Amino acid sequence: MPTHIASNEDEIVDAVMTAREWRSPLEIVAGGSKRNYGRAVTTMGSVLDVSALSGIIAYEPEELILTAAPGTPLAEIEAALAQKNQRLGFEPGDWGPLLGEPAGLATIGGAICADTNGSARVKFGAARDHLLGFRAVNGFGEAFKAGGKVVKNVTGFDLPKLVCGSFGTLCVLSEVTLRVFPKPPLSTTLIVRGVEPEEGFTLLRKLWSSPLDATGLAFSRGNALIRFEGDKDPLAEKCAAARTLIGARDVIETPEGEVAFRALGRGEVFVDEPFDVWRAIIPPAAAAQLASEIDSPLWLADWAGALFWIATLPGSDAVRDAAARAGGYATLVRADEETRERIAVFEPEDAARAALTKRVKDAFDPMGIFNPGRMWDGV
Amino acid sequence: MELLEADTDIIANTADIVAALRAIVPDGVVSDSAGLAAFDGDALTAYRQKPLVTVLPRDAEQVAAVLAYAHAHGVPVIPRGAGTSLSGGSLPRADAILLSLTRMSRIKEIDYDNRCVVTEPGVTNLSITRAVEGRGFYYAPDPSSQIACTVGGNVAENSGGLHCLKYGLTTNNLLGVEIILVDGTRLRLGGKAPGARGLDLLGVVAGSEGLLGVVVEATLRILPKPPVTRTLLAAFDTVPAAGQCVADIIAAGIVPAAMEFMDRRCVDAVEAHCAPGYPKADGGVLIIDADGIQAEVDHAIAAIADIARRNGAEVREAHEETERARLWSGRKAAFPAMGRLAPDMLCMDGTIPRRMLPAVLERMSAMSDEYKLGFCNVFHAGDGNLHPLIIFDVMKPGELDRAEAFGAAILRLCVEVGGVLTGEHGVGVEKRDLMPDMFSDLDLAQQQRLKCAFDAERLLNPGKVFPTLSACVESGHMHVKDGRIPFPNLPRF
Ligand SMILES: Cc1cc2nc3c(=O)[nH]c(=O)nc-3n(C[C@H](O)[C@H](O)[C@H](O)COP(=O)(O)OP(=O)(O)OC[C@H]3O[C@@H](n4cnc5c(N)ncnc54)[C@H](O)[C@@H]3O)c2cc1C
Repeated sequence: MPTHIASNEDEIVDAVMTAREWRSPLEIVAGGSKRNYGRAVTTMGSVLDVSALSGIIAYEPEELILTAAPGTPLAEIEAALAQKNQRLGFEPGDWGPLLGEPAGLATIGGAICADTNGSARVKFGAARDHLLGFRAVNGFGEAFKAGGKVVKNVTGFDLPKLVCGSFGTLCVLSEVTLRVFPKPPLSTTLIVRGVEPEEGFTLLRKLWSSPLDATGLAFSRGNALIRFEGDKDPLAEKCAAARTLIGARDVIETPEGEVAFRALGRGEVFVDEPFDVWRAIIPPAAAAQLASEIDSPLWLADWAGALFWIATLPGSDAVRDAAARAGGYATLVRADEETRERIAVFEPEDAARAALTKRVKDAFDPMGIFNPGRMWDGV
Repeated sequence: MELLEADTDIIANTADIVAALRAIVPDGVVSDSAGLAAFDGDALTAYRQKPLVTVLPRDAEQVAAVLAYAHAHGVPVIPRGAGTSLSGGSLPRADAILLSLTRMSRIKEIDYDNRCVVTEPGVTNLSITRAVEGRGFYYAPDPSSQIACTVGGNVAENSGGLHCLKYGLTTNNLLGVEIILVDGTRLRLGGKAPGARGLDLLGVVAGSEGLLGVVVEATLRILPKPPVTRTLLAAFDTVPAAGQCVADIIAAGIVPAAMEFMDRRCVDAVEAHCAPGYPKADGGVLIIDADGIQAEVDHAIAAIADIARRNGAEVREAHEETERARLWSGRKAAFPAMGRLAPDMLCMDGTIPRRMLPAVLERMSAMSDEYKLGFCNVFHAGDGNLHPLIIFDVMKPGELDRAEAFGAAILRLCVEVGGVLTGEHGVGVEKRDLMPDMFSDLDLAQQQRLKCAFDAERLLNPGKVFPTLSACVESGHMHVKDGRIPFPNLPRF
């Protein structure tokens, strides 16, 4: 497939204008870590490689704001923030290894477009709660901006929200501005061991409904994991209060929990397993029900039970129905191309919703140039 | 500000429209002149306009029927909650149906297990917290208008409040909505499960100022109430010292629950009005709340007090609830205190990068002399959201124009220093004509295309947000069926 390399916004415009002229679609790729996430893009067009749009453009720790080119490696952004004791609140993970690619390819633009948020989402929200503004090129070949570069802004439609999780189907990002957060100095994790799912989820929701502000509430193979962050004294008080809520159970406390949460956000346990991987998102109170219904060799839950990572035998779509019965929805994160073609990767939409989705797609990219078919037919 | 001209053909049809609406909502149509006077504007008080007719549906089905009727007959519709918009968002038109959602005021469900409340749009903001506080929860977005403003209005304006630095705006606390599109189509976006199923349309409906659809139900996140809140006040000799203090607090990794700045003019006004007893502060005062568990709050307050003193402030800490209330009373009285100084007031709402505060305040003083109008500043210092209050008298010839020109100059200044036109009040009609100062034609065209995707006839809240109304055009599509392009084997490059 021919590849265009764009290293600035003007070159993206050129590539889009050429694609329009030739009526030939573009597959937008930066690091390539998540190229196998979503349906396979129509292959007859070209690749638009935007990895050269890289680098932090402005970082103002005292304004809690960072502006970067979208191809900037996630690791580079995390390192720059860490130097000022800050971080991204939505804890995006590198999904490369999960999806069969090397580690270290993930970019900030990819994390935004694929909405890969980690365990801290339970407290700080998703990518959409952190993207304040962007610049991009739409399918008309027009460079435009949306949102702003301040933490509070309601001027015009909130297009940054729409771009998060849009899988490159609306526009090609050329600059992103994110809200960042202070990084608490210490982290500790309580692990409640040997609990059944039902008991574990009840416990996690009890903590979620307490004012202790846990920044991770996960369940993995009979363990409930509860992460707290902060300064020394507040952390000690939180742990003590949490232990009271947990009651007489087998609890250990470890600063190493951080490693477990990082692994969770990247789906690390699934990396070398021969299974398909789904993410089901449900109302958290339905977690025990979902856990009892799924037939899975390996699953984990996060966000106080609202997120399930589920491994299934290749080609099964049972998770989708189970998630629907629990009041939620499911996304097929990893499977071979044939399966992703046969089983919708993203939740199928009813007619009214699909029609609106298509109109929104057309508002940005009426010729269907960007990542055609990545989410659904025509989108 | 120029308002759009009304369509006389629609007005000529008033009797038919009223009859049709009566058939849909028999007990909820207001069409007499005296009755309509109650709906002749919102909290942008300088603008008054009676609607063609007001309809007050009781449920989503009636809303859908009203919209389907309006759509079929090409009649514009202005959604309205409590009418507290400060930007003229719910300002009626002489040729439009005013769709008031205030009779849909039922909380449908409180779901503690999923920590959310499902509510109709006409419920007031404060009643959400009232409904759940007995169990130790609250709804975080807290606009100062919270006793009056509605959830539907909050969603449409993406409203904030004192606590949004730490807890976010409405959009960050909104799990789902049911909206009705202009043709009567009912759609659920989001719900009790977090996140978007597909494109995040919920994210653009929030803050869309009634231009994309009518919200008939909202699912709101509730939070456990922090057990401890402590408050301190820091008085500064100079504005730069106050600005530096704010920067230092943020740089120290502290996220206060609220951090409010009042400039000297504002402090003087509130002292004259309700005497909260603030220390002398030529540079202004900061009022700061920290909340959380005891050790967390103690730690934060000690650190904040230390930082404030290092920046030369006189620091007062509230040791009991009455003192806390007294420190806050001055801030809460800022509006009425300024209101005593003149019959009319414009409350502006721009956001700036925090570090620009001293420069911006200095420029605003100069503008105040230039426009010969008094003003003061309250500032959500944590997130850089500035609320200059301009006082004037509509009855004095030229003062409204001057006040608007002063306001516009302030907002342009916000954009010039890297900020935005509105942090929480919305664009409405008030800032509509300033949009080109922040957005290029291409930026605005992209937003308008999104509008067209939801409302191609542009019947919902016309005349708001966008300075020009360009027609929605069909653009040349490349037909892609089943994700495949036509004639795939033809070479394309
Ligand atoms: C004294 C005072 C203090 C204020 N303080 C704050 C503050 O601290 N923070 C803040 O953010 N704002 C504040 N505001 C502004 C205002 O209260 C908010 O914008 C509020 O959310 C408006 O709610 P409402 O119900 O009055 O809506 P309205 O004024 O009736 O309508 C506002 C907009 O929402 C649309 N709308 C209303 N209901 C719906 C619906 N169901 N579906 C679709 N669209 C709808 C309208 O068309 C209009 O565009 C204040 C206002 C006043 C008067």
